[in-house]
Amino acid sequence: MSMLELKSVLAKKFAECISNYTLKNSNELYIEVDSPATYDICSYIYQELGYPLISMFAADEKQLINSYAVYYVFADRQESLLLIVKTMVKPDEMEITSLSKIIPAADLYEREIKDLFGINPLGHPNPKRLVFHSNWPDGKYPLRKEFNLKQKLDFVQEKISFQKVEGKGVYEIPVGPVHAGIIEPGHFRFSVAGEPIINLEAQLFYVHKGLEKLCEGQSIEKCFYIAERISGDETFTNSLAYCQAIEKIAGITVPQRAQYTRVIFAELERLTSHLGDLGGICLDTGYGFATFQFRMMRGWAYNLADELCGMRFLRSVNKPGGIRKDFMVGKKSILLKYLQKIKKELEDTVDIIKSHSMFIDRVENTGILKPKIAADLNAVGPGGRASGQCNDVRKSFPYAVYDKLEFEIPKHYNGDVNCRMNTKIEECFTSISLMIQAIENMPEGKILEPVTKVEPYRFAFGMTEAPRGENIHWIMTGEHNSIYRYKIRTPSFCNWPALCHAVNGNIVPDFPLINKSFNLSYAGNDL
Amino acid sequence: MFDIIKKIVKYPRLTNNYPDKALDSSLFIGSPEIDTDKCKLCGECVRHCPSGAIKINTVSNSITIDYAQCVFCVLCEEVCRSGAAKMTNKFELATKNKVTLQKGPWVIDENNIPYEPQALDALLQSKIKKTLGRSLYIREVDAGSCNGCDYEINGLNNPFNDLERLGISFVASPRHADMLLVTGTATRNMQLALLKTYAATPDPKLVVAVGACACSGGIFRDSYATNNGIDSLVPVDVYIPGCPPRPQAILYGILKALDKV
Repeated sequence: MSMLELKSVLAKKFAECISNYTLKNSNELYIEVDSPATYDICSYIYQELGYPLISMFAADEKQLINSYAVYYVFADRQESLLLIVKTMVKPDEMEITSLSKIIPAADLYEREIKDLFGINPLGHPNPKRLVFHSNWPDGKYPLRKEFNLKQKLDFVQEKISFQKVEGKGVYEIPVGPVHAGIIEPGHFRFSVAGEPIINLEAQLFYVHKGLEKLCEGQSIEKCFYIAERISGDETFTNSLAYCQAIEKIAGITVPQRAQYTRVIFAELERLTSHLGDLGGICLDTGYGFATFQFRMMRGWAYNLADELCGMRFLRSVNKPGGIRKDFMVGKKSILLKYLQKIKKELEDTVDIIKSHSMFIDRVENTGILKPKIAADLNAVGPGGRASGQCNDVRKSFPYAVYDKLEFEIPKHYNGDVNCRMNTKIEECFTSISLMIQAIENMPEGKILEPVTKVEPYRFAFGMTEAPRGENIHWIMTGEHNSIYRYKIRTPSFCNWPALCHAVNGNIVPDFPLINKSFNLSYAGNDL
Repeated sequence: MFDIIKKIVKYPRLTNNYPDKALDSSLFIGSPEIDTDKCKLCGECVRHCPSGAIKINTVSNSITIDYAQCVFCVLCEEVCRSGAAKMTNKFELATKNKVTLQKGPWVIDENNIPYEPQALDALLQSKIKKTLGRSLYIREVDAGSCNGCDYEINGLNNPFNDLERLGISFVASPRHADMLLVTGTATRNMQLALLKTYAATPDPKLVVAVGACACSGGIFRDSYATNNGIDSLVPVDVYIPGCPPRPQAILYGILKALDKV
């Protein structure tokens, strides 16, 4: 449905409840809605129009409109359109009607808003704390403007409660937050009977650093470096989403050469990440040879990053308005050499692992995420694409120069570890091909259009396809080139609940394997 | 099977012989340095530094970079008008005393009080080296990093670094460990877990802080949910600056803790 059709449909159906339509940045349609009608409008958009809820957040806009605002972000992925429902929450009310029963994906967002703003979702099926653990005192909400960033609150001694599964022979296995492997912290509570898992509850947010609060009031320049450090292995894609939002607000057109360079770095990051994941899957099935093959290729990808920019994690490559330096001058031959080497080795290794029946036996039909659940939870990235959700921001909301390059999105439907592995293998080859296309077609010219000043209280979305999937940042600028509100929604936030569904019915020893096939970021989820 | 053997023959050894053989670091972006002769103390880098690592002492008219806080972002080099700030390719920056990470004279503020090993500890230290000199078991604890440091620690196990050739390996439980390798700022929610892990590690033990966050809080300093470095909770033996430090920089730090470099 086009923008105009959508507008008329909404205007016809909800004429009295919608007070304002604003179109921003060519594809973001904001509609302001009276709070009592929000529930009806959102459920209409979700159920009748079929737009998924891709993000939801609140902002403290007391200084501007004497009220808090809650934004529900729906996407039309065919038309590259974002439909944002904005509703006001008065400081003396602090309540919204929960949408979780209709839109399962809203569950976590509502709990997040409750923890950070104190806006209560009425009728929420499971209003347990999300961001804060039991050590956090009641009645303290960090994203309210009056909350002092540097305040260290006292620890409260209380126990965290977990979902109980009861019955004969049912017992619990607590795991974490410090794990046996070298991974990030999170607590998993398995309820099992014998070997199969009945229920998994993931207690995350151990690495919550208050990142969104840290950015508020800071300069645009400084927040860029914080955006790079949202999730270490997704440095480039997060910095790119940040830059895109700032560039939209500042009204800057990024030079073509910088856009092509950004494609190369974004795909290099995806390749590095996927090679690591493939190695991890092999490691968790005890397949040593293949693990080291993938680790070797990942090592080459890091060497390539060193050759191109001197930073293994591609930090300080982007800059709002373009890229920091012309990294690709004279690097074509070395880039092609590395890519050919990786491609050859990847082809050989994939042939070997796929002809190994014991390995395939382990990954096939393990950890199935059903397409229906994936759709309900808005599962994104390779995890979603392996379960029939063929969405990719590079196609649905093209950025940089992806609309000029040729590539296919992998489609798989079984939703098991094997499908996720195959998705990642295919995406590795796509990334290599995209990098080659980008370097071949790269024009000469400028690499940076500096952002000097941004207008206060403007807002925009920055969207990228991170290695783990759809990545959405929303920025509202403040006065004197600062950030007023920065909402980060990384793909991991959507996919953690999907992982918890995928493990049900599998045996506990397969959990590391299923976990690795998603390879979600804890830091990107916890912020 | 034949394919596998072919591959093994094709890549017999990929491992760098670091630290016996120095690494070619010409491509690396390492620590920034300020040439005090060229520096005009204009304060441009201080205003821009995203982690507040550069400070000017107005009493002694001098400028310093605190590598414990520096995130190696290249911005100081970019904004410097007199060409005094330059990125070097130095990466072996690990040190036992936090104060040595601050180049030049420094006013120590409340948050920066370094951990001073006491007499008993000093004795313990020498015992540790005797006991653990030949083989070392490490438990890694992520206490709130962005996962960059953790991926680099993982990198120590890849075929290029192969930590086990030095008799060092990672273990699954702190109860089996001699050394805790801690990354991250020690967030509010990880605080208790870090203290429990420390308590669960048998004495004698070593603690190494990996990355700017663990050394000082880095770019995430002074938030309601973070601590300014793990040394506010547990005693630290070696600090490894970097954001994130390279695998070899971490290896250098581990060996430094054992007095092997």
